[in-house]
Amino acid sequence: MATQLEEKIGMKLESYTFRVEKGKIRELALAIGDLKDEYLKGESLPPTFPTVIEFWGGKGSSANLLGLNVKKVLHGEQTYEYLKEIKPEDEITVHSVVEDAYTKAKMNFVIIKKEFFNQQGELVLLCRQTVIERH
Amino acid sequence: MQVGYQFEPVQKEEVTHSQLVRYAGASGDFNPIHTVVPFAEEAGLGGVIAHGMLVKGFVGQAIGKWFSVKDLLKFSSRFKAMTRPGERITVKGRVIGEQDDRWLCEAAAVNEAGEVKVQSFFEIRK
Repeated sequence: MATQLEEKIGMKLESYTFRVEKGKIRELALAIGDLKDEYLKGESLPPTFPTVIEFWGGKGSSANLLGLNVKKVLHGEQTYEYLKEIKPEDEITVHSVVEDAYTKAKMNFVIIKKEFFNQQGELVLLCRQTVIERH
Repeated sequence: MQVGYQFEPVQKEEVTHSQLVRYAGASGDFNPIHTVVPFAEEAGLGGVIAHGMLVKGFVGQAIGKWFSVKDLLKFSSRFKAMTRPGERITVKGRVIGEQDDRWLCEAAAVNEAGEVKVQSFFEIRK
């Protein structure tokens, strides 16, 4: 099990592109209950909007792509580094790689790094997340 | 602004099943542990749990009340406890340090019993 897990280190996950649609900005703001006028109008993005790009841009959740059991998967940690502003209507392309994978206390930990580039090829956001799979 | 400064807490409405369905559609995270009670029970969770990113979204909302989100440089979160429908979350935060160009802050999403659901650190451009 552990060997299989460590083999995932360096594994590249699917790359994908997503356009930052104003309607999706509004929809996320309404779901969170974060009703700032600029979000509802789709003029600027709530801080957690990149998650919309990750799920709607990609074909499956990271857990599925990694072959983890979704019934046993929990989200451990998540970090965004905002390098440049992502604007409405930007076309964002995401590249993901497994940075680390290990087993601790009867749980598997997988750390995924995602780089978000805009249509000019500028790195706009870095995301790191820890996915936990309970044994 | 100074180190130790406490922000005004942001109180959220009770988390509901409908909100989790809505958040699933908005975010695109359709893992049924968040929306389908029998599936979540079979997974050993005793019912559905909120998306961690929804609760992080509450923290993001609070940051947007305390600062301009355009000044947000880094936002990290640890998901420490599950949140369930019926719980009412409050986001508290304070300034814990500073560098030449930024404030270092922490925030926590807690329920009415004071249980920490999401512990966050964030950095704001001065």
